[in-house]
Formats: sequence, structure tokens, C-alpha cells
Amino acid sequence: MDPLLLGAIVAIATILVLFSGVSVAIGLLIVSAGFLIIFDGPRSLELMPEILFGKLDNFALLSIPMFIIMGASIASTRAGADLYEALERWLTRVPGGLVVSNLGACALFAAMSGSSPATCAAIGKMGIPEMRKRGYPDGVAAGSIAAGGTLGILIPPSVTMIVYGIATETSIGRLFLAGVIPGLMLVGLFMAWSLYSTWKSGDGGQLSAGSYSWAERFEILPRVLPFLAIILGVLYAMYGGIATPSETAAVGALLCLLIAMIIYKLWQPQALWVVLRDSTKESVMILFIIAAAGVFSYMLSSLFITQSIAEWIGTLDVNRWILMGAVNIFLLIAGFFLPPVAVILMAAPILLPIITTAGFDPIWFAVVLTINMEIGLISPPVGLNLYVINGIAPDISLKTILTGSLPFVGCMVLAIILLCLFPELATWLPDVIMGAAV
Amino acid sequence: MAGHSSAVAARTGNNPFLRAVAAISTLAGWCSATMIVAAVAITCQMIFVRWVLNASTVWQTEAVIYLVISATLIGLPYVQRLRGHVNVDLIPLSLPPRARFALAILTSALSIVIISIMLWYGYEYWHFAWDRGWRSDTVWGVRLWIPYLALPIGFGLLLLQLVADLVAVLTGADKPFGLE
Amino acid sequence: TELRLSHQWSNKDVRHQVAQIVADEVAAADVDLNIKIFGSKSLFKPREQYKPLSRGQLDMTVFPLSYAGGQQPAYNLTLMPGLVKNHDHAARLSDSPFMDALEAKMAEDDVMVLVHGYLAGGFAGTDKCITSPDDVKGLQTRAAGKSFEQMLAGAGASIASMASSEIYNAMQTGVLQAANTSSSSFVSYRIYEQVKCYTPAGDVALWFMYQPLLMNKSSFEGLNEAQQQALLAGAEKAEAFYLEEAKKQDAASVQVFEEAGVDIAEMSPEDFEAWRKLAMETSYKKFVEEVPGGQDLLDKALAVE
Ligand code: NA
Ligand code: NA
Repeated sequence: MDPLLLGAIVAIATILVLFSGVSVAIGLLIVSAGFLIIFDGPRSLELMPEILFGKLDNFALLSIPMFIIMGASIASTRAGADLYEALERWLTRVPGGLVVSNLGACALFAAMSGSSPATCAAIGKMGIPEMRKRGYPDGVAAGSIAAGGTLGILIPPSVTMIVYGIATETSIGRLFLAGVIPGLMLVGLFMAWSLYSTWKSGDGGQLSAGSYSWAERFEILPRVLPFLAIILGVLYAMYGGIATPSETAAVGALLCLLIAMIIYKLWQPQALWVVLRDSTKESVMILFIIAAAGVFSYMLSSLFITQSIAEWIGTLDVNRWILMGAVNIFLLIAGFFLPPVAVILMAAPILLPIITTAGFDPIWFAVVLTINMEIGLISPPVGLNLYVINGIAPDISLKTILTGSLPFVGCMVLAIILLCLFPELATWLPDVIMGAAV
Repeated sequence: MAGHSSAVAARTGNNPFLRAVAAISTLAGWCSATMIVAAVAITCQMIFVRWVLNASTVWQTEAVIYLVISATLIGLPYVQRLRGHVNVDLIPLSLPPRARFALAILTSALSIVIISIMLWYGYEYWHFAWDRGWRSDTVWGVRLWIPYLALPIGFGLLLLQLVADLVAVLTGADKPFGLE
Repeated sequence: TELRLSHQWSNKDVRHQVAQIVADEVAAADVDLNIKIFGSKSLFKPREQYKPLSRGQLDMTVFPLSYAGGQQPAYNLTLMPGLVKNHDHAARLSDSPFMDALEAKMAEDDVMVLVHGYLAGGFAGTDKCITSPDDVKGLQTRAAGKSFEQMLAGAGASIASMASSEIYNAMQTGVLQAANTSSSSFVSYRIYEQVKCYTPAGDVALWFMYQPLLMNKSSFEGLNEAQQQALLAGAEKAEAFYLEEAKKQDAASVQVFEEAGVDIAEMSPEDFEAWRKLAMETSYKKFVEEVPGGQDLLDKALAVE
């Protein structure tokens, strides 16, 4: 059979299986097994466990549970609240200051956590009830946290950047740096929108309620220091010659656990177990998808589908920006349905040759891809951040959360456009710190 | 709204089988979490040995890799029990109760079949490595059956939890797809 | 009939070209045989090709044999410091009782060799040149292969294990000060951007790795006479090409490093002997201890002039 036609059949089968409600990783194994039996014979099933094991046999994957532990240990303490409160005390004068401080807290937290749901949970637990109490509409409260939480995978460290780095053999250190400026830009856009919408709604004055004395403002600063220490410590370890990026994750995890235990008195085994349970749950889920996606990509490769698609796209003679537009739409749609890690693993081997052939920078593309994945995180039907918000505030309807986060999706689309116009937003920082691209 | 409800475990009711499986899966979850913590500790030890003592680090990388793999595989049943394996339940949501029930049985059965295959060939792979005395090709030279053991154990326990989940739906102890 | 061949390199790499020559020759022979090449580790990860090959789930692979040293410890002799002196010596080793003994081991796993070939490599240091064992003392070093790790540890180096793809970043941030790998990896991972000095494979070289084109024996025996002949004819042509190209690789890597402004150091025959003596006490000794019949194999290898 023509590999391209076969590819289309595989795509349809995958969609059907994944939509049936079976878990994503197991669904990928089912589809892989089905096509392997038909086209490579039943003996090819023998290989599935060893391929799955082999996909996990990679030191860099260690950083996934590590960066998740970093976030989870901080999130389980009062640390998130402290961070949030500090920002709030300094920003109360600004109309809509509470949303702005929530977004700022999300961004800071994202610099300590590699995962978006963790970021969302850490700030949302405190931020959403507080905003609602102060009279912000439910949609704004939920939407800003859902969107702010997605920064977890753009601002380094980032689990999805690690996965991209492994899948495409690009430098993880470089990828992390590439996310910094676009991350800050996105926070800026989110904040700008929040301020504008509060100002437009006309009750900015009322919403800036609560005023703090200068004493109160300075008093809280020491409580933010541990965070700055962690962020700086991790950065120093990573770029200062102490450890490789994957190893640094362990340092970060250890630091965060220690700070949680020493400063925030997280001593009880029960409380520690909650941290470990949540991190284990998220890590195992992601790592199982990585492993299963590995088997899936073995199937695509063995049936010569990956190679044929890359070849076929190579023969297409289209404008590179039309190509980029098509790639973005594809990623956006994939992101609606699948968790980021699965999209990256399935799409990267196929898309990367296309991207590089068309003259795009793979590091820059990682950022564009990540922002696409961020949109996916807050869009139905599979939006991990939506579930988190739903867990924190079960009484806010999905529709309200979605309407609330829609303007932020607009900001993300704008960010992608800006990145296309000014690729340096992503490539400048890694080039300055790590030298010109390899 | 689709799956991945936060930390809501599959229901067991008073069924002793379901409760026993739940206990085993929880134990597996503890093992998994312990291995992740061990990986953190070993990585930090490696950085210390290299950066502070400037000494050789020959076994740490490998140990950490195998710990993370084992944590993943052995953690599978626990995450399944917590309904932590993300899914897309677009179709189940749109179906009437009886059809949804039928689809739940079908997807459970398919999951059980594929995980049985993984268990069987995972066991074979483990046994092959054991039988031939394979070691990793490093100075440390780990006997490979040790890390490979995570394949049959992890998939075996996941299979058990999947069967328990199917039983729970069949006996009415839990709702199809955990949906109300 | 279709045969599946897997390897880990890009299609510009000499090892891909070796596979391509065999594939082209077989196609040209028109014996109803087609070799489908899965390059760039698109099918299996580099170290995970041996088991599928030996069980017939994969027909052919271009494979650094020492990767399977955990499965057949005898293979560790195919990446042993100082055992091979230069490319011509390597060719003589490939055609000796030593190689016959190794091929007997491969036959146990239902594996046979179609194309023999060795590639060489060298050392690179971020701060200084590495020529003699004294030079690596106290340096964080990444070595390619178990025997090299043992020897370098014997010389007082600190061994850091990491994938070759991580060398660049580790050197850039200062985690690593020295590395030893193949000439082609030094070039493809652009290590020349990070080092001060390169010690390439020259008249004498320490690092030689046996990277043959292997085939599943049963797959081969399942082919008809004409197909087998076509394969063997293609393999012969490829082997000659492989040897010529292997020699050129080292020179090409020197040129790349030179153009990047990296110092080029040379290992003197005395340095080579010092390393070899050290290897005898460390990696050779360990090998003989660990591998049943190891002494006999080592003697066979050392007997090749
Ligand atoms: Na982050
Ligand atoms: Na989505």
C-alpha cells in the first residue's frame, strides 16, 4: 500500500481509538499493535516491550519527575500563597492589580516548575477564591489562572522542552533559554489585556480594594527570597558548569523539597506523601505517554510512513510561511485533543525535517510549538489546566472558564505572530549566552 | 468535561477483590515514589562527587535511568487507580447510558488485551536477558534482568488494576469512565 | 524479497554509504532482492539493534560490535585501547584467526558479518592537549567504551558517563574537560567549537572501533544462491570502499579542527606504548578476568602483526 494512504488510515484509526475514552498511552499501544500485526506480521509484537523500555532508557527523562517535584513541593506549602501575597501587596494600587499579581505569581512559579497543571494549581488554590471574594467575575478569575498556568511549559524549566530536546536532539539548555523572552512577553500581553479589560469594565477603582502600608509591603519580602534563591541556584547550576540541564533538575527538586521542609515545616509524612503522590502521578502519566508514543513512532517508521511524509512534503513547492501556517493549524488541532507531550512526540519526528528544510530554526520552532501546546492546555476536550481549575473551583462552569480564557488565547495567537515576525525574540538570548547556534 | 479528574480514585465499594487490588496498586505507587526520590538523591550525589570531589562517576547515570524506568512501569497500576492516565472521553460523553456502558466494556477489554500482550512479551524479554546472563555494556555492568524485571511486574500489576476496573463497572461499583 | 537494514547515522555518513553500496549492488544484480535502509536510528536505538538482529526481527545492521559487549563479553575486544595500531593493521585483524573466533561467537547468536570495518578516533581537551597518560590526570573525562573508561581511570582521570550528544554542552559549561570518541562524532557534534586541542588518529592511534555490517544468519541462509552471491559481491565492494574512507575520515576531521583554530597534537610512539602498558594493567587485565576464554582471544588478537 502507498505509505501516504496508509498514513491517512493510521491517522483516522488513531483518532477513533483515542476518542473512545481509552487512556492516551494505552490507545497508542493498541493502534501500534493493530498496524504492526497487519503489516509486519504478528511476530513484530514481540518487540513492543523492549522498544517501550528503550524509549525510557534516556537520562534526560529524569528531569521530568524532578521538575514536577519542584513545582509540587512548593505548591503544597504556603509558599504559593506567600508569593502571591507579596505581589498583591505591591500591586494593589493598580486597577485590576489582583489579576496582574496572579499572573506575575504564575510567571514566577513557572520558573520553578516544569509543568503547567502544577503551576495552575499552585497559584489557583489561593488566587481564584481571592479574586472572586474581591468581586472579580468568575470568568476572569478562572481564565487568568488557567492561562497563567500554561506559562509553566514556556518559562524554563519546561517538561515539554525536555521532551522536544530529546525527540529532536536539540540542546535542552538552549531550548530553556529560548523560552525566557517569549514567556515574559506573553505575561506582559496577559497583564496588558487584564488591565485593559478591568479599566474598560469601569469598576477598576472598586477592584483595587485593600491597601497596605509600606511596612507591610517590606515585611513580606523575605518570604519571597527562598524562591529567588531556588531560581538563581538552578540557573547557576545549569549554566555555571556544575551540572548538565538534566542533572540540574535533581538539584532543583532537592532544593525545593528542603525549602518546603525547613522553611515551611512540611515534616509530617502525610504531607510529604501528598507531594510525592501528586508528582508521581503526573510523572508516570507523562512518561507512559512518552514510552507508548515511542512504540507508535516505531510503527510509523517501520511502515515507512514517517519517511514518506517527510519526502512528500519535501517535494511540495509552497511558500514557507504558508507551510508554517499549516503546521500551526495542525498543531493547534492536535493540541485540542492530546496532551502536549503526546503531540510533541508524535509530531516532532515528522515536522522537524519539514521545518528545517524550509529554513526555520528548530529552537525557534520549539517556542512556537510550545505556545500552540499552551493553547491546547486551556481548550476542550482535553485541557489539563481546565481540569485543575475545575478541581479548585468546581462551581465555576466549564463554559465560564472557557469564555474567561478566550482573550488569553488571543494573546497567545498574537505572541505566535510576533514570533514569526521577530524570530530573535526566541533565538537572541540563547545565542548571547551560549554562543551562535550549533 | 473529559477525564483526568484530580486525585479521585476508582471506587471499590465493599468488594474484597477490588479492595485487595487497590491496596496492591497503592503499594506499587509507594515503591514508584520511593524510586523517584532515590533517583533525585543519586543524581545529587553524582554532582557532588564530580563537582566537589572531582572523582569518577561511573554507575550513577545508569542507576538513575533504571530507577526512573522502574518508577514509571511500577507506578502504572497506581496511576490507573487514581485515574491519572489522561484520556479523551468525547465519544463516551455524547453517548446514552447503555451505549456508554457498552463502550466502557469494549475499551476495558481492548486495554486488557494490549496490556496482556505487553506483559507476555515483557516477561519473555526479561527471561531472555536472565537466561543469557546479559549485562549492560558499561564498567558497572548491571545484570540486565534486574531493570527488565520492571516490565513484567509493572504490566502485570497494571493488568490486575485494569481487570479490577472492569469488574467495578460490571458489578456497578463504579460508573463507566468514572462519569456521573 | 525485502531485507530491512537499520543503522544510527545520517545519510552522509560513511557507514550509511557502506550500506547503500550493498543495497545498490544487490538491486543492480536483479535477483529479486531489495534492501530497505532505516537510517538515523529511525527504527531502533543504536544499542538496541543487536537483539532484534539475533532473533531475526531485523535482517541487517551497521553496528559497533562492542555495543553488544554486555551480551557477548568477547566483543569488548573490538574496542580495546591500543589493540589496533592503524587502518591497515585493522584490515589484517579482520582477516585473522582472531576474527574467526569472534565470528564463531556471533554465529551462536545467529549473526554473521557481511562487511568488516574499523573506524578510528582520538582525544580532545578543553584546556590542554592529551597525548600521554599523565595528561588526563584529574580531568573530568568522557570516554567512549568500557575498556577506555577503565584505562583512563587507571591514568587518574575522573570518568563522567554521558551520551556523546551531551559532550558539547558539558564541555561548554565546564562539566567536562576531556573526551574520547570517534573522528566522525567529533566532527558531527561540532566538538571543535569547544576544545583547545585535538589529538587525532594518526600514524598510531589508540581508539579503534569495529563497526561491521552484520546480517542475521538465518535470513541469509533463507535466500537463494543468486541472492546470496549478489549480497556477498556487494559486500566485497563495500568493504574496499569502507577501508579507503576510514583512512580519509581521520584526515578530514583534522582539517575541520584546524579550520576552527584548534591545536592539533600528535601521539608519539612512546606515548602510545605508555598507554598500551597502562591498558595491559587495567582494561586487558579486567577483560581476561571477566571473559571465559578471554586470554586465548586476546592472544589471538595480539598475534596479528
Ligand atoms: Na516552567
Ligand atoms: Na485541549
